[in-house]
This record gives sequence, C-alpha cells and structure tokens, in this order.
Amino acid sequence: MPEIVLEHVTKCFGKFVAVDDLNLTIEDRDFITLLGPSGCGKTTTLRMIAGLETPTKGRITIGDTVVFDSEEGIDISPAKRDIGFLFQNYALWPHMTVYDNIAFGLENLKWPKDKIESRVREMLGMLRIEQFEKRYPSELSGGQQQRVAIARTLAPSPKVLFMDEPLSNLDAKLRLEMRSELKRLHVDTDSTFVYVTHDQMEAMALATKICLMNKGILQQYDPPLTVYDRPANLFVADFVGNPTMNFFPVKASRKDSRSFAFHMLGRDLVFTGEKDIAEEASDAVIGVRPEFITLGEGAFSGVVYTTLPSGMETTVRIRAGEDFVTAVIFGSVDFSHSLEMPFGIKGNSILLFDKASGKMLSMGTVSEA
Amino acid sequence: MSNSRKTTRILNNMKSYASKPANVITVIFFIILLATVCFPLLSLVRDAFTVHFGEIRDVGKPLGSFTLYHWHTLLFDTLYDYSILTFWRPLLNSFSMAVISCIVAVGFGGAVAWFITRSDIPGKKFLSTIFVFPYIMPSWSIAMFWENFFKNTQIVACYNQMGMLESITGICVPEWVLYGFFPCAMCLGIHYAPFAYLLIGGILRNMDANLEEAATVLKASRFKILRRITLPIVTPALISTVLLVFSSSISSYTVPAFLNKNGSFSTISTTMRSLFNTAAMQGQGFVVAIVLLIFSVVILTLNNKMTGKRKSFTTISGKSGQVSLVKLGKARKPITAVIMIISVFFAIVPLVSFALESLLEVPGDYSTISLYYWLTTDTLEDRVFGSSQGILRNPTIWSALGRSLLVSFAVALISGTFGILIGYACARKRGSKLARWVSNMAFFPYLIPAMSFGAVYLSVSFLPAFSFLRSSVLLLIIVGGIKFLPFASRSGANAMMQVSGEIEEAAFVIGVPWWKRMARILFPIQKASFISGYLLPFISCMRELSLFVLLAAPGSIITVVLQDFEVNGLTQISNGINFLIIMIVLLVQFITNKLTGASIDKGIGG
Ligand SMILES: Nc1ncnc2c1ncn2[C@@H]1O[C@H](COP(=O)(O)OP(=O)(O)O)[C@@H](O)[C@H]1O
Ligand SMILES: [Mg+2]
Repeated sequence: MPEIVLEHVTKCFGKFVAVDDLNLTIEDRDFITLLGPSGCGKTTTLRMIAGLETPTKGRITIGDTVVFDSEEGIDISPAKRDIGFLFQNYALWPHMTVYDNIAFGLENLKWPKDKIESRVREMLGMLRIEQFEKRYPSELSGGQQQRVAIARTLAPSPKVLFMDEPLSNLDAKLRLEMRSELKRLHVDTDSTFVYVTHDQMEAMALATKICLMNKGILQQYDPPLTVYDRPANLFVADFVGNPTMNFFPVKASRKDSRSFAFHMLGRDLVFTGEKDIAEEASDAVIGVRPEFITLGEGAFSGVVYTTLPSGMETTVRIRAGEDFVTAVIFGSVDFSHSLEMPFGIKGNSILLFDKASGKMLSMGTVSEA
Repeated sequence: MSNSRKTTRILNNMKSYASKPANVITVIFFIILLATVCFPLLSLVRDAFTVHFGEIRDVGKPLGSFTLYHWHTLLFDTLYDYSILTFWRPLLNSFSMAVISCIVAVGFGGAVAWFITRSDIPGKKFLSTIFVFPYIMPSWSIAMFWENFFKNTQIVACYNQMGMLESITGICVPEWVLYGFFPCAMCLGIHYAPFAYLLIGGILRNMDANLEEAATVLKASRFKILRRITLPIVTPALISTVLLVFSSSISSYTVPAFLNKNGSFSTISTTMRSLFNTAAMQGQGFVVAIVLLIFSVVILTLNNKMTGKRKSFTTISGKSGQVSLVKLGKARKPITAVIMIISVFFAIVPLVSFALESLLEVPGDYSTISLYYWLTTDTLEDRVFGSSQGILRNPTIWSALGRSLLVSFAVALISGTFGILIGYACARKRGSKLARWVSNMAFFPYLIPAMSFGAVYLSVSFLPAFSFLRSSVLLLIIVGGIKFLPFASRSGANAMMQVSGEIEEAAFVIGVPWWKRMARILFPIQKASFISGYLLPFISCMRELSLFVLLAAPGSIITVVLQDFEVNGLTQISNGINFLIIMIVLLVQFITNKLTGASIDKGIGG
C-alpha cells in the first residue's frame, strides 16, 4: 500500500543545492538503498521523506496521502507519516533504560501497559538483547546499542522504515552479521525499507533497488545487478564495483550502424554494440570490468605491476605501455614483479561511453579489427 | 645491589614521568593550587577560631589564642536579639533572595535559550547579542538602573530624586519596589539570566538533535518531547546552572549594597562587610565567611551527586546539526515582542540611563543636562576619598581606572594561561587521580562567594609573613587570577578535549618540542576558545567589586571609587563611571570578537 512517490523534490541550503529535482517511486515492500559518495544528499533526501527536513520545492506522497507539497503548502509532521527512522548515531535516549527506550513509542500510541510489555519483550527477544533490559545506553557496546535502536524503531511496526547508515559505526564483522539480519528483518516485517549508505557493497547486498546519487542529482535507479552490469553513466560505472572498472579513453570512428573502430592498448580494435547505436562518439571511453580481462593469453601484452591476493580472489594490476589494467582472477596467486603477462578482453559486457556527457551508449563486444 | 637497582628504577620512573609535560604541569598546578586555594582556606578556618587584635578586650584572652567566642556570639547571643539581627535574619534574607533570583534567572534565561535554539523566533543573532549585556555589565548596573528608573519624589531614602519612570509617566512606585528584598531578587535574577542562557543554550545547541527527532518520529507530542526527552537530558546542566546561580546570588554583595538605602534589607554579605569593618568583630566576619563556604561545599556536593555518572552521556553529536525548529505560528509575534522588549529594556536602556544620569545637574530634572559632572574642577564632596572633581579631570578616577585595567590585564593573563595549561593537563591525563584533584581545585574558587574569597585572602594578609600583601595591587592580581581561574580552565579543558591527542602526537613523533606543539598546533586550532578563556576573566575582573571590596585600599581601583561616590550621594559621578566601565568592557569584548572570533559565550557555554 504505502508506495512513496517523490516528484521534483529539491532542497537548497541558501544558494547550495543539496538535492536537485529528484523524481523517485518506491514500491511497497521494496528495500531501497540511497547510495552515493559522502555529501551527495542522501541524508537530506531521507530526512525530507521522513518529514524531518522541509524540501524547498516538490511533492512527496506516501501511500494515498500527500505528505508534502510546496505549491499547496502541505507539510505533514513526521509523527503523522507512520514511519520509523533509524539514526546513524542511534540517538538512544541516555536517561532511559533499554526497556524505556523501546516502550516510549508504544506509550505514545496509547497502548495498554500489558500490551506494551509483551511487545517490548518480543522485540528484546527478536534482537537478542533481553539481558540488557535494565541498562542505560551508555553501558552498552556499539553493536548492542544498535540493536536497541532497531528494536525501538521496529516496535510500533512502522509501514516504512528509514535507516541512515545504521551500520557505519560497527566493526567489519558485526557489520556483516547485522547486514544479513536486516535483510532477514525486511522479509519478516513486511515493511518498506529505505536505507542510506555510502558503501556500494552494502547497497548491492541488501537492496531490491539502488538509487545512486551524486552532487544532489539522481544518477540511476535500478536493481543492483542492472546498476552493476549496465551503469547509466561513467560516474555510476566508476562508483560501483570493487576493484573499479577499467576505463580507456579512445578516438572512435563509426564503422557501421552498430560498431566503432578505434586504437587502444596499442592495437586497432572494433566495438560492436548489441544493437544499433544512434549517437555519435568520436571522443569515447571504453569500460571493461576487471573480471572481463583474461590473463595468460590474449592479444595484448604487458608486465605485472602489483599482485594483491585476498584469499578467494586476486587482483592483478598490469602495465601496458602508458596504461594500467586491473584484472581479477579466481584463487590465490602471486605473480612476481615485472613478469611478462599477455592479456585479453572477453565477453559481451564491454561498455561504450560518450566522454563528454559520460552517458553509456551501448553494451557490446570488443574484437580485433 | 638490589637496593641500588631499586633506586635506579625509581629514578628512571621519575625521569620518564617528568619527561611528559602533562605530568609536570599537573604536579606544578597541584602545588600552586594547594598554596592558593587550600592554604588560604585553612587560614580562614583558623581565623574564625582565634582572637584578633581588636577583640582582645571582649574575648578576654590574649591575641591569637583559640576561642569559640565568635561562633557563640554570632550564632547564639540573645542579648537585644543580636544573633537574630546580625546573622539569622540576614541569612534567611539572602537565602530567599537567592531562591527568587534563581527562579527568575533560570526561568527567563532558560526560556530564551529554548526559543533561540529550538524555535523559529526571528532576530536570533540580535537577541543573543544583546541578551548577554546584563551579564557583561557590572552586577550592580541593573541595580543602579533599577534605582534610576524607579526612584521618585515620594521616597526619602533616594533623596526624593525623580527617576525615569516618574518623569515620563508621573507614576511613583512604593518603596518596596525600589529598595529591599524584591528589587534585589529581581536585579540578581536579571543579571544572572544571561548566564543561565549561556549555559543552557550551550547544552541545547550541543545536544544531539536526533534525540528529539527520534521522539518526533515515534509520535510524541512537542510538549511530551520537552518533558520526557529534552528536559531530562538538560537536567544535569539545569541543576548546575541553578546551583551556580544560587551560590552566586546568596553571596552577592553589590546588589543588596546598592538597593538597601533605606536599611530595611540586610543580607549575609552586607553583614559580613560591616563585621569586617568593625575591629572588634572581625572574627565574626570570618565565621560568616565560613558559613557561606559551607553552603558552597554543600552545593558542590549536591551538584556532583545529582549529575551522577550512570545516565551520563556526551552531548557532542558531530553529525547532525540541523534541528527542525518549532514553528511558533500565531504565538510568534507576541512572544518575540515580549522577549525583545524585556531584553532591550535591560540591555540598552540601562546604558542610556547611566549616560543620562551622569549629565543631569539636578537628578531627575531633564532640563539641566550638562557636562558639569564630567568636566568640573570644583571639589564636589569632602567625604569622598581622594579627589572629587569631575570625572574626566579627576586624578583619582584616572589612576584607579589605570590600575583596574592593569589588574584585569594581569588577571586575564594569569588565569587564561593557567586555564589552558590545566585544561591541557586534564585532557591528556583524563582519569588520573591527581589530574582530577587539580581540576576540582581549579573549579573550587568559583563556588567560594567572592567576598568570602576576599576574606580568605584578607586573613592571609594578616599573617606576619605576608603582611607585604596587605592592600597591595599584587594581592588583587593574585586573588583575581585564582578566583577567575574556573571558567578559564573549563574552557581550556573543553577546547583541549575537542582536539584529539593524535593531532598532537603527529607532531610529537617528528620531534616537535612541547612548547612548539602548544604554540603552533594546539593554540591555533582552538584559538577562539582559548582567547575566550582570557576574555572572560578580563571582563569579570574589570567589573568586579565584591571580591576586592575587603582587600583594596580606598581609591585604588575603579569599582571601589565608584562605590565611594555612590554611597556619598554623588550619583552623577557613579553613573558616569559605571558608563565608562561598561563601555570599556563592551569595547574590549567587541574588538576581541572581531579580531579573533572569541566571545564570552564560547567561554561559558563551551
Ligand atoms: N543544514 C545544512 N545547512 C547547509 N548545508 C547542509 C545542511 N545539511 C546538509 N548540507 C549540505 O548538503 C549536502 C548533502 O548533505 P547530506 O545529505 O548530509 O549528505 P550525505 O549524502 O553524506 O548524507 C552536503 O554538501 C552538506 O554540506
Ligand atoms: Mg549522511
């Protein structure tokens, strides 16, 4: 039911535009992540939807209710938006015990005492923090505080749950653990989750759809794999994926309706799109994910620059003349420095970008001319 | 063999302890504070139990011998109700005055703090600038203004002079509005309201806005958030504020001294003053000082108890700065109007009134405006110490002003520097027992009422070994330097806490010596806070009277001269001097603020 729709939402702080003309539709029971580098306007967006920040322009609808409309002067208070909000720093009330923290929201809903008690117990059990019930927040570790914050947010069963980088203060191990618990919670609670993070791995792992922003502007809004495979532009391609995509700026000339010829890594090559390419691209960028570089055989030659084994896979950086190429291979290997290493480009997921606009023009294959 | 090994180990331990500047500073200040805070306190206690020169006859014991006479007489002498009149009634008066002024200060200051930090009230910048004026002014300024405003031709005690209210509206207020309990409590409340505003506002500003937002999202009403979230979280600060205002008000000397012209309202501090001025009763004066001290210690203990650890929390939020401001809606205009009018009335109008009063040849008669009292070479009054010519031609006033500036400057230098060093040591050695002792001792002078603190040093200057201090400028500088240390050390500590140790360590590992790390790295980073630590003592000292009134020789500093003119009825001159002091203080604060960004709210609010 509570589909969230943002139309032309803009937020300015003085002259500075923090969020610029954002249009977004969040379906019921989605798990959306707002992803982007620090300062790109994720928190601002989230706070605007929640009603904690007033947009400068635009219209926000949650379910059937318009909660904000700058033209009609509608601005419904966060209390009436039926939402939950999980703060980055947890914002637990220091003067209340864990129990009171969780019960507070239910008291505001005028629940009877016994119902509050049983719901709080349920939440304590669900998040495995029963033994801390009587403690104050300052007496808990970061991970425990985080669970309390989640319990407090979930207790009134909000239809929509907003989370602002809830895991960023946890250590790596706990973060992984909590990540899977959050995903589990999403399934169990039947609510819509909107989740802010600057960590692209987290966004990929959790989301049903990623909303990627940069400098206040929406870059792409798609399921994680689409964002990964078919990034809308150079920024998205660069931001998503680890190790990052290889980019080769080239001068391309059109060969036919779906292919371009160019010179790259010392060879004459042809890019063939999966379908016709309408745009011209004399200044273009070829993008190749590290996993599409084959090592040991291929048309190109280079020398090993560094090898970074990480157990399950190994990142190899190869120097080919002026260029550096990053490749990932399965398993753990350790090439010696300056080893001659021929390499190739495989598969039909190579990307062609227009350099000036950054726009992705086509996916396709690269072959020798 | 093993003995010499042990000695070497101890020596090495000492060496490594001494190689850390923070350790050295802690030890040095432990000793300094022991000498300047603890030793005088002991001397004070001793004085309350011994016979002084003027008391030999009454007590009937030789000079310097032990006696309970002072205590007995002051607390239990029923002859002519002596102890009721000189001790118990003034104590009750002071106590109730402090309670009322606390309510006014915290109520008004706290409300303004809330409006400025949490609502969409307009003109915040202007409001927060002028709201602190009454605190920058000398504490009696409001009292003096009160008198200028309300005095009227129906009241004998003010020499039937006409005040502003009467000359504008013709209204004559009854005497209880002008002198006694009510005006004293109100004036103190208004004087300390900015202080409450700075403390509470500082907490509200630093309080993590998410805490309130979390409650909003969970559907708590505005009022409920205030009651269940905001208030409990600021409670520790609120309690501290209440206690600090209380301890300052109960021992306030200047305000009751100015607003007791009809002699109807004696307070514990005015009593103390007159006891000290009577040779045969000095011992009793020391007893009063000790009673006030006990109050302070109780207050400090209460404060520590009530702001206990378990629910403690850091207020520094880091991330979210933006609070969703409460929209006042229809109430916005009236609330703004009320707050603005009150603030302007007590911030700007007093200045005007001081300037005006100094220009009126006949008080209350606005047709007699002239520069007579500023420029005349006539001798205006014989009873005034030194010269009593017009303000600008008066050598006593000029030399006193010069001396005041000198003292304030020296005091600022001492307490500001000490404050930074203590702040540094405490921040770096957080948790060490010695550091905690040092920081507590450095705060203790705040809780000792100014006049008791003066009394403490008065008793020291009576010791033969320290007689060279008696009535000297050096004594004033020492007393001021220690008395104003608390805020300097607090703002120093706050500033140091905010600079992570790693910043200093980054310089340390590449071999930058300690003084250079302080001067080139730590100081520049927290420049505004540190300079605030100098500014606050300067301002406080420039306008201080209670602290110095027992110690300063007549005509020595400007505030003492001011009081001398005031009690001898030359109100034009006392108003003029007050105007001068306020202007100097405002100017210094303004220039410092423009040049360095330091301000008194940085010093207090943290
Ligand atoms: N209250 C504010 N006043 C001025 N600028 C702000 C305010 N809040 C955020 N900004 C600016 O808006 C931009 C987006 O902020 P934010 O949404 O917090 O970014 P993030 O994506 O890291 O969460 C940032 O550049 C920030 O400096
Ligand atoms: Mg953010």
